Amino acid sequence: MGPLLPIAVVAALPALPFVNNYILAATVRALIFIALGQAWNVVAGIGGQLSLGHGVFLGLGCYVTGILFNELGVPPWIGVWAGALVALAVALVMGSMTLRMRGVFFALATVAVSLAFDQLARHYVDLTGGDNGLALKFLGNSLWALQSRSPAPFVYAGLGFVIVYYWITRRILASRFGLEMRAVRDDEVAASAAGVRAFRTKLLGFLVSAAMTALAGGLYIQFYQAIDPESAFGLGQAIQLQLPALIGGLGTAWGPIVGGALMIVLSEATNWGATRLGVIGVDVLIYGLVLLIVVLWAPQGIVGVLSNGRRR
Amino acid sequence: MSGFEAALVPIGQALLSGILVGGVYGLLSIGFSLAFGVMRIVNFAHGDLVMYGMYVGVVSASFGLDPLYAIPFSFLFMAVLGAAQYQLVYKRFVGFATLQQLLAAIGLGLVLQMLAQVVFGADTRSAPSMFGGQYILIGPLFISAAQVVAFIVAVIATVAVEALLLGTHWGRTVRAVADDIEAAELVGLSSQFINIGAFALACGLAGIAGTIMVTYYPTDPSKGLSLMPIAIIATTIGGLGSIRGSFLGGIFCGMVQQLTAMLWNSALQDVPLYVLLLFFIAYRPTGMFGFRTE
Repeated sequence: MGPLLPIAVVAALPALPFVNNYILAATVRALIFIALGQAWNVVAGIGGQLSLGHGVFLGLGCYVTGILFNELGVPPWIGVWAGALVALAVALVMGSMTLRMRGVFFALATVAVSLAFDQLARHYVDLTGGDNGLALKFLGNSLWALQSRSPAPFVYAGLGFVIVYYWITRRILASRFGLEMRAVRDDEVAASAAGVRAFRTKLLGFLVSAAMTALAGGLYIQFYQAIDPESAFGLGQAIQLQLPALIGGLGTAWGPIVGGALMIVLSEATNWGATRLGVIGVDVLIYGLVLLIVVLWAPQGIVGVLSNGRRR
Repeated sequence: MSGFEAALVPIGQALLSGILVGGVYGLLSIGFSLAFGVMRIVNFAHGDLVMYGMYVGVVSASFGLDPLYAIPFSFLFMAVLGAAQYQLVYKRFVGFATLQQLLAAIGLGLVLQMLAQVVFGADTRSAPSMFGGQYILIGPLFISAAQVVAFIVAVIATVAVEALLLGTHWGRTVRAVADDIEAAELVGLSSQFINIGAFALACGLAGIAGTIMVTYYPTDPSKGLSLMPIAIIATTIGGLGSIRGSFLGGIFCGMVQQLTAMLWNSALQDVPLYVLLLFFIAYRPTGMFGFRTE
């Protein structure tokens, strides 16, 4: 892949306004999907901690940004930081209670926290809109409110997120912190014996990942203009967030990008086919099958398989 | 009746229905707990097997057969399905609950859920038994007859599993493999063969739980996933791997749920359970009856 791909992407940018909106919107969905996958990859791929609760941080990013904007008129480029702070606080409580234990307990606890938030979001209707969800007040094209009738601006924003998150992932992988996370992932006892403070490393990775997810949540709600409990805190969402990194290659910088792009193509194609056949839920069936196939036969993902091939 | 007694009636009512609902939670948790205790498999698709058990009841009701008579069939069907899953997916993960194993179970659960949606549609279905709509009065308290029957079935199944594991030769071999797989192999036990049996039993229990549950609780394809938190919480509170612990954990969950619904809000009835789960994981991960800390 090398440096050619980014150059090609940047070279294609001026052509954007001439592409049709359907493709632009699909591109934005892919970029959001990739950015969320990159965030999850930090804790799960590099750190080896299976979080099934990243929907919580996505949801908090969306809801806090949206509620501050609707109720108090706070613009999203400020609101999203508040969302990230709330997500950090929740992650700190969750992480410090569960990350000392073996990974299974952490995974199970993250499920419980997602579902608790799901019930709370459905119940406090005045604040969150309940089951129907929260819709942003639409102001038309507005730079202040980061809203746009056309999906084109979100392509730039999404690309910005993906490039920055790619850079962050590379920095983490190259740093001592990244090395410690991988050491804890591969053998916690050995890492502790070598002087790595396992709990602190895991917690820090979780916090970084949670903040990245919440910030990408800001992009999510600005693009979709709405959020509801199911797409924020539902287990379906939590599972979708894992697919880009899993399919592309856990713990690699390119993995979520490759996996996310592939998944969105697959999901658009199956949805297109499914609406014609009149069957609902085929995309989720495909997700499940892909997840099974990858875990059973290609646990290193596409990037892992490719780089192994090159080494041999 | 004095004011004090009048205030006690709703609490007694909540506790009583909590115990009845909780017995079935207990039954659906012991299968989950068994798979973990023996093979270290966290079967995230366990709830989906319960959901299939519920559809066994729906299908038998549509043929005019009372769902209660379909229980043995449901047990067998899920046991065979479970053995197949073990062979295809879980065999390679026995002994360590890894990230890959959890993900494989999640993928399998999604596939099972969507297949149910394709076959049965997304609508809510119910299958009342011959006891449907009947109530039993005990003084000022009333309980649904279907729930009492479900509770009795749950208790019988749990006692039978405990007796099977503690009192029979087969149970002893299962516990031997759970304790030390290598030592069990050394004395001539086939761990693969025993594990298939234990996993099939765990899945069969999910089938029973589903079929008795559908007599008072309607189902749809997403029910399986929504039952998982209860199984997880009941098992963690009771102790991962402990049969009686998981059963009592289920009853405890039912009581907390119903009390919350009565004293606070029925829409938030599960929130205290999630908080309890966090505290148990942080301060007592072996639960009340668990035997391992790793």
